[in-house]
Amino acid sequence: MNLNLSAEEEQIVTSVRGALARIAPISRFHRGGDARLTGELRAEAAALGWFGLGLPEEAGGVGCGPIEEMLLYREVGRGLGPVSMLYVSLAAHIASLAGDVSLASELAAGVHGVALVVDDPGGGSRIFDPDGADYAFRLTDGDRADLITLKGAKLDARHSLDKSASMAIGDLSQARVVVGCEDASVRRLAQLGAAAMLVGAAEAMRDMIGEYAKLRQTFGRAIGAYQAVRHPISDMAVRCEAARSQLFVAAICVRDARADCDLQLDAAKTLANVAAVKNADSNIQLHGGIAVTDEHDAHLFMKRAQTLSRLFGAERTLLSRLALASAAN
Amino acid sequence: MDLNYAAADESFRERARAWLQENAPKSPRPAELMAAGAYDRAWQRKLHDGGFAGLNWPKAFGGRGLSVVQQMIWFEEVARARAPALNSTLIGLQHGGPTLIVHGSDAQKAFHLPRILSGESIWCQGFSEPGAGSDLAALRTRGTVEGDELVVNGQKMWTSFAHFADYQELLVRTDPDAKRHAGLSWVICDMKSPGISIQPIKNMMGETHVNMVFYDDVRIPLSNVVGGLGNGWKVAMSTLSIERALAFLPDQIDMLEKVERLTELARRVRLETGKLAIDDDEIRRKLGRLRAETLAMRAMTISNISGLERDGQLGPEGSIAKLFVSTGYKALSELAGEILGYEFLEYGEDRTTNRWTFEFMWSWVLTIAGGSSEIQREIIADTLLQLPRAR
Repeated sequence: MNLNLSAEEEQIVTSVRGALARIAPISRFHRGGDARLTGELRAEAAALGWFGLGLPEEAGGVGCGPIEEMLLYREVGRGLGPVSMLYVSLAAHIASLAGDVSLASELAAGVHGVALVVDDPGGGSRIFDPDGADYAFRLTDGDRADLITLKGAKLDARHSLDKSASMAIGDLSQARVVVGCEDASVRRLAQLGAAAMLVGAAEAMRDMIGEYAKLRQTFGRAIGAYQAVRHPISDMAVRCEAARSQLFVAAICVRDARADCDLQLDAAKTLANVAAVKNADSNIQLHGGIAVTDEHDAHLFMKRAQTLSRLFGAERTLLSRLALASAAN
Repeated sequence: MDLNYAAADESFRERARAWLQENAPKSPRPAELMAAGAYDRAWQRKLHDGGFAGLNWPKAFGGRGLSVVQQMIWFEEVARARAPALNSTLIGLQHGGPTLIVHGSDAQKAFHLPRILSGESIWCQGFSEPGAGSDLAALRTRGTVEGDELVVNGQKMWTSFAHFADYQELLVRTDPDAKRHAGLSWVICDMKSPGISIQPIKNMMGETHVNMVFYDDVRIPLSNVVGGLGNGWKVAMSTLSIERALAFLPDQIDMLEKVERLTELARRVRLETGKLAIDDDEIRRKLGRLRAETLAMRAMTISNISGLERDGQLGPEGSIAKLFVSTGYKALSELAGEILGYEFLEYGEDRTTNRWTFEFMWSWVLTIAGGSSEIQREIIADTLLQLPRAR
């Protein structure tokens, strides 16, 4: 019974945080930079072992598990690394679980870009991050996870709110499945990774406004001395702590394949959604005018929160499942 | 990181479960105050004889010296067995006793600790005053040294169970010239002392277990001062930090069960729209959110216990947990009211007449007592976020 990070786990956090700030600093969003997962960035992340972190060594991976992947993606969320890094990791898991070791190794080595395909409630498919992607992955009812090829697919490009991603719509119903598997661990790792990125982002926003509140002066004192400012920041900290604790519990449940794993994951994603979306609101509001300018980072986190809160568990689905979860859980 | 219990923890759980099944009282705690006091004493006596008294106290002082994890297991098993919670025995076991263990003299420890453990002594608290709640250091009850006695005059507020308590942990101002935190003393007050009068406060739930306590030339031997004259603030703070570390564990555990009961209620009750409550989208979403929050409360508890085991103390995380649990409790009781409709209004001045309506009103006690939500936000802002202060 222990939720403390071990020395090795702390080490992962520190090294990922430092490396991400070097290879994909948040400043890349500004002044015409490319915030997406470019081929170059993919190669650098692969060299750090990130895409194969949770893969077995025989599939070109590092041999760690869900805890380490959760810690990695929490840092990716904190530093606004591209969301599609998670898609590459998940595609490698699909290939590995399907027994295609060579494809898994290529994915872990950052050779391929990977997109995410979801059903659009209005019909057709919505594709997240198709730019430069060779494959896309799709989670369907139950535990089915497929990797499909995007070669020759006719996609209709759309704008993307989060500039670290691209977006398209199209009909992928006839797309060829390259590999696939029937394994709950893919959707679980997807939900865990998305929740982790949201928690990291929520924590970054708490820290961003916390620092600013010490510096910015109004009416002769730092704004952090006013209860109208410090109390909402305290609430941001409460949301972070609740979401982080639940995220850690969910990660352990995934690793140990505990019976209540899906329930714990749904709770983790729910709290992560709330923490990131609400902290994004407070962060902008408490910063004041500067936060609605393009040059500030606050809107980047808000856009990230809006994106990730819709993926791998949106509010309505999660809350309905949680409400109807049997007492046996 | 793991969620597994050590073998010793599992075997403690088995022992606790078996003992509780055998020994938990079959009859509920009586509503009448003095009968409730007798019930609490009898239960504490039974716990003591069964080897389950003073779980968090060191063995050297007659306690069990259990790890925090095993204390959590105990609270879980008490809830599972529907055995009595800490009621009037709480102050002695969780505040007064632990404070004496740290700051008390050998004579104070030798006399009081065994009596607290066995249920012979019930303790109450005398900290808050009409003008000193959140700002405890503003307290004005005077203790004047006369010979080898302290003569106490003033008034305390919110003292639970004062009617049948034997002793009180009493915080008084012994040096009127010293500023605020300085000049306070923590003393053991015998509640049978001449000059003490008790006036019950009827709360909005219709109950009267909290009181105002008045002191008119109450004479307390100086040997009852704990930790030395003028050191009361330091002594009291050690008590309050003990309170924050684990005080909300039973509430957190209760919440899990309350969400289950509320879900059952929602499957039974029809709304004014004619729908079953569980089929109403809004109610379903609120229930889902509560279940997620309740799971997170448990996760936060495990996280705090892990930190406590590692660092030996709990920082502002205690305030975070208090805010989160009390806010969740409020949302839960509001949702119960929404589901119950007209039935919510059937309340007869005592908690047994309508449990959910009682919970609804009780939720304000949780967000105000033990440091209001606003004070918790101040503590988080000061200590965790290190924000500038205006105070």
